[in-house]
Amino acid sequence: MKRKMIAMLLSLAMIGSMLTGCSVSTGSSDDDKKTEDDAKGEESADAEDGTVTKSDPNMKDREEINLWFWGAEPYAQEAMQKILADKYNASQDKYQLVIEFRPSVDTDMSTALAANQGPDIVYGSGPSFVMPLVEAGKLEAMDAYAEEYGWKDRILQPYYESGTVDGKLYSLVNGVSTMGVFYNKKVLEDNGWEVPTTIEELESVMDQALEKGLYASVTGNKGWKPVNENYGSLFLTHIAGPDTVYKCLTGEEKWNNPNVQAAIEKSKEWWDKGYLAGEDYVNLNFSESLQLLADEKSPFFIGPSIAFQWAASFFTDDKEENIAFIPFPATEQVPDETYTLGAACTLSINANVSQEHKDEAAKIIDMMMQPEFMQEMTEAWPGYWGTPLKDLTTVDTSNMGYLSKSFVDVVQNISGAVNAGNFGFYDNVFFPAATQQAIVNIEDVWYDTISVTDYLDNMDKEFAAEFEKGLVPPIPKPAGIQ
Amino acid sequence: MSRKKFNWNYLLIAPALLISVSIILVPGILTIISSFTDWNGISPNINFIGFENFKELFHDKIFFISIRNNVIWTVMFVTIPVCIGMLAAMLLLSRKKTRSIYQVAFLIPYVLAPAVNAMLWLNIIFSPVVGLVAYFKGLGFDISSPLASMKSAIYACAGVDIWHYWSYLTVIYLAALRQTPTDQVEAARIDGCNAWQLFRYIYMPNIKATVSLMFVMIVIGSFLAFDYVKLLTGGGPAHSTEVLGTYAYSYAFSSMQVGKAAAVGLFMSFFGLIASGIYARLSRKEEMQ
Repeated sequence: MKRKMIAMLLSLAMIGSMLTGCSVSTGSSDDDKKTEDDAKGEESADAEDGTVTKSDPNMKDREEINLWFWGAEPYAQEAMQKILADKYNASQDKYQLVIEFRPSVDTDMSTALAANQGPDIVYGSGPSFVMPLVEAGKLEAMDAYAEEYGWKDRILQPYYESGTVDGKLYSLVNGVSTMGVFYNKKVLEDNGWEVPTTIEELESVMDQALEKGLYASVTGNKGWKPVNENYGSLFLTHIAGPDTVYKCLTGEEKWNNPNVQAAIEKSKEWWDKGYLAGEDYVNLNFSESLQLLADEKSPFFIGPSIAFQWAASFFTDDKEENIAFIPFPATEQVPDETYTLGAACTLSINANVSQEHKDEAAKIIDMMMQPEFMQEMTEAWPGYWGTPLKDLTTVDTSNMGYLSKSFVDVVQNISGAVNAGNFGFYDNVFFPAATQQAIVNIEDVWYDTISVTDYLDNMDKEFAAEFEKGLVPPIPKPAGIQ
Repeated sequence: MSRKKFNWNYLLIAPALLISVSIILVPGILTIISSFTDWNGISPNINFIGFENFKELFHDKIFFISIRNNVIWTVMFVTIPVCIGMLAAMLLLSRKKTRSIYQVAFLIPYVLAPAVNAMLWLNIIFSPVVGLVAYFKGLGFDISSPLASMKSAIYACAGVDIWHYWSYLTVIYLAALRQTPTDQVEAARIDGCNAWQLFRYIYMPNIKATVSLMFVMIVIGSFLAFDYVKLLTGGGPAHSTEVLGTYAYSYAFSSMQVGKAAAVGLFMSFFGLIASGIYARLSRKEEMQ
């Protein structure tokens, strides 16, 4: 009898474990979920791939306009449903916006579009993702909509241009991201360290932190190897300089030039000194890094500004205002405040849907390119929706929490710097796919499996092939380029 | 004149054959064709480039690192889980009343999704924040996660996969061992066989077919390894855990070079085919005997 009980318990444990592995957490209990579903609509989760689809059963008679998005956290999904889908659905009575949150959205999207399927609104992880889709005729040119909604006048020029191919608009970046330095104010104060304004000061604080047994900075690529590209892009902007990178991307210079070489060598120097979380780099993700920063184990987290969205989980209560963000400090090569232009995501229109659906997709994209949308989304989901608009003065931060407000400040600063031409190039926005992958592989240099020269020679070869095929997105001119 | 009898067998196997042709043969042929092109997976513009993809692979250091890692994976899998599984099965053979409980307990990692297993190891064992590594570090031990080292990462990945897999072999071997005729076992015991001799001369010959089949399945599976490497290291650090599966994935979905990914995929199938060929040959030999 006893043995049977044990066997039953173990079987139950096994079944429970299986279900745990297959289920999708929505962050609320079943009862809560049921109540939410009754009130807000239907949510279905595909146990196989974790896709969550949000739709309203009361609107089953309406035509669906589909948007596939990445598998954001439950609170973020709720915000998108409420601020985007519910608003759009209430604005008319013919269509229903259905958002599917797919953890593997990039690969799903490529596969679906290749088969002339896919959603009406095409999510992309950056303009370079869009290039092959345009070449294959999968995306609709949006110039007519740009004129109708005045996008060109409202959107920051480098971001607008990055979505064009041969002069036609195919995608819009709807969330800016940049590389910078998050710091823990308390750690700096407790140790008598000043907020660094130059790279030398930054390195000096990191050296002292290491001596005190802290991490120099916290970051890591656990679970997402492309985190490496953050540091590749960062050093290209601040050591090689935007003008050098511009010349490389436009084919005027080769990648194996001394300035780019100096940038890659600087990244290697940082790696060797343990400035990038030391040997824990491969064992940390952004959430854990921010947890360590909140726990005062490090003065800095050097990473993308979209990390504000994860900071909200760790900088809570009396710790909330311990975090702050500064642009990467001045270097000898780039002394002015300069931002590496990155994109949280891009939005395009599927070429293989009806004209009516294209029109509605454009209307929804325009809703997402409004300062009001940025304001509402940032209040609910700080750190992701930095709409690249020239004028953000109408964004009211009075009702925002500390993190949301800090994020809006960052986006406004980026906007100002971009207008002045002080920007560099984030690889996932401006580099073609294989060259971008070469930047992701920068860890080959860090781990000494390849020399800097050979690494850049390979990168140059990959880039030359892609440049010849016309796969490089339009490159906006930074300040100093005639 | 006798009417030829209709053979229903052909009709009955038709659905399975149709499915196999549609979802295995056709994509298989398309993969072979793709490997001779520069297709990016989306574009309708496809150029045939002959053996260029294969030539590039043969000049690619990472491709050979991937093959080496697949070989390491195979060697580890045909030894460690086989030995542990066989030992556990032999021990369970004598635990007639409790072996069901043990089997269920052992099988838990096997039935868990790879993503869950990987998260368990990443967060509970290897994490420098909350894992065992952090705990021992806190006690003053100078240790770090094996995933961080180029030398140990591939063994750590294979170790996690073995941890999840060995119980499956235990169940299979146990099922085979139980088929051994009891009269043979009892006769051997009466003749004074010790445990090793009993295993070597009675059980082993009886389960040889199962062991051979599992050997081939392990070899094929090892060259298709993907999930645990992708989840634990993504092929890093610095490609040190790259296997053919992750390398093909990276070409297909990161570099958008589906033609080259198809070429890598062909090598994965090639090694699996060799293992299948060996198995078919061995089976035929046994039948002849």
